Amino acid sequence: MTAPLLAIRGLRAAYGKIEALKGVDVEIKAGEIVALIGANGAGKSTLMMTIFGKPRARAGQILYEGRDITDVPTHEIAHLRIAQSPEGRRIFPRMSVAENLQMGADATGGTEAERDATLERVFALFPRLKERYAQRGGTLSGGEQQMLAIGRALMSRPRLLLLDEPSLGLAPLIARQIFDAIRTLNRQDGLTVLIVEQNANHALKLAHRGYVMVNGLISLAGTGAELLQRPEIRAAYLEGGRHG
Amino acid sequence: MTAIPHETTHASRTAGIAYILKKSLISALVALVLFSLMVGVRTEAGSEGQLTYWTRFGEVAALVAVVFGGSIVIELLRQWIGPNGTDSLVPPAVRSGMSFLGRYLAPALLIFTFLVPVIFYDQRYILDLGILVLTYVMLGWGLNVVVGLAGLLDLGYVAFYAVGAYSYALLATNFGWSFWICLPLAGILAAFWGVLLGFPVLRLRGDYLAIVTLAFGEIIRLVIINWQSLTGGPNGVSSIPRPSFFGIPLDNSDNGLAARLGIEYSPTHRIVFLFYVILALALLTNWVTIRLRRLPIGRAWEALREDEVACRALGINTTTTKLTAFATGAMFGGFAGAFFATRQGFISPESFTFQESALVLAIVVLGGMGSQLGVALAALAMIGGFELFRGLENYRMLVFGMAMVLIMIWRPRGLIGHRAPTVFLTKAHAISSDLVKEGHG
Repeated sequence: MTAPLLAIRGLRAAYGKIEALKGVDVEIKAGEIVALIGANGAGKSTLMMTIFGKPRARAGQILYEGRDITDVPTHEIAHLRIAQSPEGRRIFPRMSVAENLQMGADATGGTEAERDATLERVFALFPRLKERYAQRGGTLSGGEQQMLAIGRALMSRPRLLLLDEPSLGLAPLIARQIFDAIRTLNRQDGLTVLIVEQNANHALKLAHRGYVMVNGLISLAGTGAELLQRPEIRAAYLEGGRHG
Repeated sequence: MTAIPHETTHASRTAGIAYILKKSLISALVALVLFSLMVGVRTEAGSEGQLTYWTRFGEVAALVAVVFGGSIVIELLRQWIGPNGTDSLVPPAVRSGMSFLGRYLAPALLIFTFLVPVIFYDQRYILDLGILVLTYVMLGWGLNVVVGLAGLLDLGYVAFYAVGAYSYALLATNFGWSFWICLPLAGILAAFWGVLLGFPVLRLRGDYLAIVTLAFGEIIRLVIINWQSLTGGPNGVSSIPRPSFFGIPLDNSDNGLAARLGIEYSPTHRIVFLFYVILALALLTNWVTIRLRRLPIGRAWEALREDEVACRALGINTTTTKLTAFATGAMFGGFAGAFFATRQGFISPESFTFQESALVLAIVVLGGMGSQLGVALAALAMIGGFELFRGLENYRMLVFGMAMVLIMIWRPRGLIGHRAPTVFLTKAHAISSDLVKEGHG
């Protein structure tokens, strides 16, 4: 069996005295889509941020390609070909779409030819970005901004892509486009994806495997299809949401 | 997102005269209430300490009339100019004229600036003013790197100006080094102090950063005042050498430039020379800034201004990015300081007060943060305006305060709020222009 691309072992992290991660174990194999679902405040985003070293892990290990990256400075993580589309998109509003995309490629190096090829790929996935190439990031719609955030992350040619709530605040149709693009990236480009979502239904259908997080701990793990069948999942994250 | 305010402004415009009159009437009413007490009734202590008062309804009426008329004018102006980003009622002809102006204003200004010493050769006052304006243009462009591009609010920029000035003054008076050797040294020293300031404030942003940089500016000034043995304290440094034309002095001596060229000596030569020196320095600042903006480091500065967290996630080292911004801005401040010292021939701590920092910052903000042309225009307006309104004496600051408030109301992003992108499609990606047209709102 091959070693996982990313292995998180007994990870603990806290904001001041409030412990957000209480010993989390997650494994992501190369070529997988892994979904992380859970309620608000369960620690999903914190897990994502801790992989990037903000906040720093208090205990535990993060292994990437077998290397311990727990204490690697935040800005160097991107150089390891891990990219992130952060919560709330966080695009650069006053900079053009072109500049936003270029920012993704800037820090991680690569030749101009590689950059152009990646840009072509991003445009093939999100033709809207090509249409709005010269427009300021802040003038895009929410869905387009999400596309831009993912496109920007892709510009560093990552092996592992971390997506934090890509469907947040998007119309269902747009959210589906985003999920389709993620599936395409995984199938055609072999990109490994960790996706944090509140939209459990979508995320688990998309993912090969899923983890359910409750109060800073992984409470359930399994394949996406398995988790979708579990009555407690259905009650808590699927049907419950509709009635609640 | 902005649909609702849009609709209301449109509604207000279609309402037209009735709306304007209504608004002006309300303003006049408010003025009436306020002024009837503040101006209408005048009270004074009488000869025996009792309260005497009399009424001044004439003045009140005049004030209310001024407010009423003023509101109408302001409303009309507002409809004509309109804030950034909204459709204004400016006719298309005027608008195309504006875009024409926008395209050729910068080259025209540059050519005019080059010709200033030729046109105004006999007017020493204009030349001096030109040098002063260019100094502030340069300072504005330097601070623009820190505030406009990197978004780090620096209220102590004058510190680097002072470091540059004192570096040149002390190196030249103590070691007799020439201006052209000291100039880069002054820049390097200022950049060094920029990094020194940068380190402790790396984690600060916004107001906190502003306070620390403000204190830094004051610290430098106080050190200069109190370190008497080195800086001469409040007495300053005098008889700072004038710059030479690459080793040839610009004076009345036998080996001066005038004598060597065989022309009659005139003190204006030196002024004209200084004018071109500061012009060259300012253009250097501009050129370097424009170049840097197109490089990853410049883009990283702008991205840092927009979102620091996203920058880090994208693999940008925010520490070095901030420090280079501080160092680059400080270096240009240092150059300007060295020039200031050689032009004045005398410097003292009085030249480096907080007021200078505030003035330069005002130039950057009024010009439109990040816009090179805007900063130049703002420097011209501020410094030139100061001179223009010299006759108004005490009311000068009042006029300026008003002007600044008005500009901030009508053009909240500064005179030139437009930001030109720095990344373009390569040929392979070329797409038709109607697709990239930017929508309003």
